[in-house]
Amino acid sequence: MSIRPLDLSVGGGARRSEFVTRRVGVVWRAFDLQLVTYAALLVCFGLAMAYSNSATAAVGLFETGSVFLRGLMWAVLAMIAFLLVSAFDYHWLKTFAWPLYLLQLGLLALTLGIGSGVGGTSRWVSIAGQQVQFSEIAKVLMIVVLANYLGSRAGRMGSLWSIVGAGILAGPPFLLVLLQPDLGTALVLGAILAGMLFMSGASLRWLGASAAAAVAALPFIWTYVLQDYQKARLTAFLDPLSDLQGAGYQLYQSQIAVGSGGLFGRGLTNGSQNAAGLLPVDTTDFVFAILAEELGFIGAVVVIGLFVLLLWRILVAGWRSKDPFGTMFACGLATWILFQLVVNVGMVIGVMPITGIPLPFVSHGGSSLISIAIGLGIIESINVRQGRAEW
Amino acid sequence: MVSVYLDDRPSLAPSRLRFLVFGLAVVVAAGALSARLFALQVSSTSHYTALAVANRTVLEPLPSTRGVIYDRSGVPLVSNVASYSVKIRPADLPESRREEVLALLGSLIGMDPTDINITIDSNPGSRYDSVRVAQDVDPTVANFIAEARQELPGVEVVVETRRRYDSGPLFAHILGYLGPVSAEELPDLRPRGYLPDDLIGRAGVEAIYEEALRGQYGSQLVERDATGRRVQVLRTEDQAIAGSSLRLTIDKREQELAEKALRWGMAKAKLKRGVIIVMNPQNGEILAMVSLPSYDNNEFAEGISADDYQALLKDPQKPLVNHAISDQYPPGSTYKLVAGTGTLADGKITPETRIRTAGYLTIGGARFRDWNGVGFGLCNIFCGFGHSSDTFFYQAAAMLGIDRLGYWAKKLGFGAPSGIDLPYEAAGIVPTNKWKLDTFGLPIYPGEVYLAGIGQGYDAVTPLQLLNAYAALANGGKVYRPHVVSEIIRPDGLVQAIEPEIISEVDAPGALKTMRRAARNVVVSRHTWNLVDLPIVIAGKTGTAEFGTPGPQGFLPFHNWFVSFVPKDPWKRPSDPHGWKAIQRTDSELAVVVFSYNAGTVGNSSTEIVKYYYQLHFGIKKDYRNPHLLKRGDFYVMD
Repeated sequence: MSIRPLDLSVGGGARRSEFVTRRVGVVWRAFDLQLVTYAALLVCFGLAMAYSNSATAAVGLFETGSVFLRGLMWAVLAMIAFLLVSAFDYHWLKTFAWPLYLLQLGLLALTLGIGSGVGGTSRWVSIAGQQVQFSEIAKVLMIVVLANYLGSRAGRMGSLWSIVGAGILAGPPFLLVLLQPDLGTALVLGAILAGMLFMSGASLRWLGASAAAAVAALPFIWTYVLQDYQKARLTAFLDPLSDLQGAGYQLYQSQIAVGSGGLFGRGLTNGSQNAAGLLPVDTTDFVFAILAEELGFIGAVVVIGLFVLLLWRILVAGWRSKDPFGTMFACGLATWILFQLVVNVGMVIGVMPITGIPLPFVSHGGSSLISIAIGLGIIESINVRQGRAEW
Repeated sequence: MVSVYLDDRPSLAPSRLRFLVFGLAVVVAAGALSARLFALQVSSTSHYTALAVANRTVLEPLPSTRGVIYDRSGVPLVSNVASYSVKIRPADLPESRREEVLALLGSLIGMDPTDINITIDSNPGSRYDSVRVAQDVDPTVANFIAEARQELPGVEVVVETRRRYDSGPLFAHILGYLGPVSAEELPDLRPRGYLPDDLIGRAGVEAIYEEALRGQYGSQLVERDATGRRVQVLRTEDQAIAGSSLRLTIDKREQELAEKALRWGMAKAKLKRGVIIVMNPQNGEILAMVSLPSYDNNEFAEGISADDYQALLKDPQKPLVNHAISDQYPPGSTYKLVAGTGTLADGKITPETRIRTAGYLTIGGARFRDWNGVGFGLCNIFCGFGHSSDTFFYQAAAMLGIDRLGYWAKKLGFGAPSGIDLPYEAAGIVPTNKWKLDTFGLPIYPGEVYLAGIGQGYDAVTPLQLLNAYAALANGGKVYRPHVVSEIIRPDGLVQAIEPEIISEVDAPGALKTMRRAARNVVVSRHTWNLVDLPIVIAGKTGTAEFGTPGPQGFLPFHNWFVSFVPKDPWKRPSDPHGWKAIQRTDSELAVVVFSYNAGTVGNSSTEIVKYYYQLHFGIKKDYRNPHLLKRGDFYVMD
């Protein structure tokens, strides 16, 4: 396993000068406006839900600390992060892949050390009065690290060692997250690894064997790794009605919220489950339940459609990239977003257990949004930095 | 998988197949989520909408308006007035702040925080049920509490109605009062719509007619938030049905006259307890019923304090007890009605039969004295009853035997509750062989039969039973169930009259006619001389019943009674100067009993009180009262 330094010998300098001399219009054409549009629309949905929450919570919309105001602030910060990263040449990421990996581990270790959370967990670190969730940043860093590694293994993906190597890279962050304990983020990291390995062309036979090994380890994980409340959530998922006042409560309430939305919804801010405060974490993990209640089936399907379109644009970027790093990064980002979409919406509509995974863009949470914005920025950077952007 | 190099750069060629698989996964996942959303939101939306509604709405009881109570002529005796109540919902009161909150609340409403704590802890409902802590809170204090939500979490102010008894003590024993339901009763009352902080009739008519007065609570659909606070009332599910109103048989004016007479007599004779009951013998309607001392039932309506309640309970004169029905006393000579009626009805004697009376009779070595110590010679029933000869009635009782005496006593309504529509009625005691065997495991001794004939020994009656027996005498033998409510007026205007109900009948018209004359002879013979001069025809019987332990002069303390009735239109006529004809009729519409507890007066205080009542009732201008008879002294010594 080796990380190659930036390969200047293959004409890095020339590429740079080519980029500089190209007309802005060409760059602009390579910049994927659709991708930005879909992402922006999803962010708007998120802001709409934040607005709804603030309105029903009877907090002034622009009052300091209102959910809406903070959402707006994070959206602006995410936009800035996105533009900065787009302008930044993603090739440097390959150069700094190792330091970035160390940064990732450092952030997670820091969270574990000084982080705070609910009920003995350590998930957030306060920076300038804002609660920052480093595990969100760790996701995008994980993709960078894995994309760099898998890209460098191009041509040797048939070997078991490529899988083992990727597993060794993903292992420490995975464990650090699990120790917080944050089962949801750990699952996301696992999914990213699996998705990227699959897309990298890794041997299906070995992938299958690894998956079988993971399944075989489930009883062990159940007994020694999972906390009681996590087990309760999983069993509650199987029969939500068995424990309505406990772990089944959120599932039950969220299904009621979704189901009562109907085709067109009750209208923004009119959600009864929302106003009554019956649904905890209604701006984060269960925001989609309120969205489905207030905007109805139509609104929910539009959001899912926007996700499909966004994933399409990310996959197109990956497909078009001539750089294996770019391809792998796009696949990693797509896996991440797809996994969180399926698990979060699945949880809200009662087909997935509660794992505490937020819905990208829509769930209120600055770290998650910034992290995704950075990911999308890198995609755009990949888009505009291919030699021949058009086929 | 085979990687294909597209150019000279080391490149991971995107695998077309795996991109297709990934794309497909995205489409399938989105499709599956959308399908599930469709199932929830479009196919089963009505199901979930119903659940959502149920989730945050709750059926809350909608209290009904309690019926009011009028006197016989329609004067309202009780009204419902709005009052601010302070309630606490324990679930909303943080344990850590409890002490501080209760201290502040206590200082605001003038209650000891300890009392508030006791009230909360004795709350029969759950932590989520409100507990009424105080009623009749001053509006400014109520407003302050309502606004001090931060300082007083879990404390709420609600407007409730409470009872106001317009004549307080005058009708307290009749009307009664409401009290909170207890934890023991709640399981039985819940299905009937009672709430943990509900009130229920505890005494008087309020208790007996609880169901009619209460009406039917309705329910309203109320929207709540997750903390249980009411957001808004959505709609009324069931209209509350107002309670029925009651019309009493008692006229407020008559009650005032009866109380005035009793209070006068009690003040003069320095009595601590007294009872007067006025009844219509034709139907059992109670026209007045006063038991003194009384209490103010408004104290209960306003939420009586534990101290005040204890004081009422500990008062030796038992003001909370309606002595007219709830206490039983030896009837004394008034009970001679039973042996007289029995011997006549059973043919043991005729009106002409003369019995030798004496200073005393001896049985088993014990002497049974006549009250005057010498007897009245040869005596028929008019003489025996008229002079209240004890030795006459010892012999009359012996002729009947204890069981036959008991039979006639029960025929006259003794020994069982009359069934009046007031709670806590005593049954009285009619001794029989079986009763003594059951109670003491011993047979009746002959001397006890003697005593039973003159209303001493085991005999015990309530003032109401005694009056009811003489009412039967007056009406020719029908013992009615006495009642204080004449009509139940339903909120829809329908009126349900309480019909007279005969609970027993003495089928011996001849014997009763003789006994009415004998009862008139009590007055005419000047045994009860202080009633002779009145312009109305009064018949009746005095009674003096010894009880307790002998006083300093060797005599037992005693209660005295006078039970009486007058014929309809009782004014004396020249054609019937002594009323002998009038008293034979069975048309009497007025019977009165007075009971003086622990009298100790030189005369029979009860006759004076009855006389004063008749004066007031019939508007007799001349005052026939003899206040000197009410001086403290010894009845026996004077005679």
